[in-house]
Amino acid sequence: MSDTPTRDDRDRTGGPAEPDQFLPEGDSIEQPSEDTPARRYTEEQKYQVFNKEFMPHIDSMYNFAFRLTMDEDDANDLVQDTYLKAFRFISSFEQGTNAKAWLFRILKNSFINDYRKKSKEPAKVDYQDVETTYNSEDAESEHTVDLRAESVSDLIGDEVANALNSLPVDFRTVIILCDIEGFTYEEMAKILDIPIGTVRSRLHRARNLLKEKLRDYASSMGYKEENEE
Amino acid sequence: MQTSLPTSSSSSARPEMKEHCSHSADCLKMIQLILDGEATEQELARVKANLESCKPCIEMYHLEKEVKELLTKRIEKRCCPEQLVATIKSRILSFS
Repeated sequence: MSDTPTRDDRDRTGGPAEPDQFLPEGDSIEQPSEDTPARRYTEEQKYQVFNKEFMPHIDSMYNFAFRLTMDEDDANDLVQDTYLKAFRFISSFEQGTNAKAWLFRILKNSFINDYRKKSKEPAKVDYQDVETTYNSEDAESEHTVDLRAESVSDLIGDEVANALNSLPVDFRTVIILCDIEGFTYEEMAKILDIPIGTVRSRLHRARNLLKEKLRDYASSMGYKEENEE
Repeated sequence: MQTSLPTSSSSSARPEMKEHCSHSADCLKMIQLILDGEATEQELARVKANLESCKPCIEMYHLEKEVKELLTKRIEKRCCPEQLVATIKSRILSFS
């Protein structure tokens, strides 16, 4: 009962709030590796952790899954798979740490490994292509989208959602994590396995793309941009 | 004696308002950091000063803020179906 999870100093990078955790990385990890901190939860504790720390995030997880897959059935499967995986790998979760980020990371990995491949819809623009295109430009010549706040303020939720959905999935993902789920850059870096600098630049690009889409919607709806020059 | 600029932004309309920003790409990045709550105190102070005197930056700020609010407030949040919650709970129980 008083079996507190072992804390292993080798595995800790930051302050006590953010221990580095080992997360299931697709199907390759079937058993914890040797340096995985051993947290031997009793069966009872497993259910406790699961119900207390994981289940409260299920609506956010479902929303994330739905925004990624854009399909209710796929979202269902993805959330279910993620929660089953989370339970299976529960020993690599340290109680009291950021369960939401931990779960989001598993969901995002499952999405990439399982769903993106067998996705019903034909692959849209691959992120790799987009990133290459964008990177080929001079970083400093990044444009600012010519658009005014008033032009988009009348857009309705569906239009905003459509604009978001039209973005390549990796750009969509950072916007969902940051603006819809409110994760910090640091949390996003962990969820996505990318450096914070990449989070920042990807988010920046994603927003530029989104603004272009929003501008298209706004102008097709007849909201005119006023240029007083 | 204040020149009232035809700006929709409510805040200060100062005579020495800049009409052009020569580093708007950098300003935009900084504005996003602020809206995301990721800017340092130092960055915050720098941008704040700029936002009082640079018209294009003020407009950018309003746009970024508006776009962020569209995303947080207007997009419908999907809730997990009860059925799925029940399924997950029962599948977990059959694990061990």
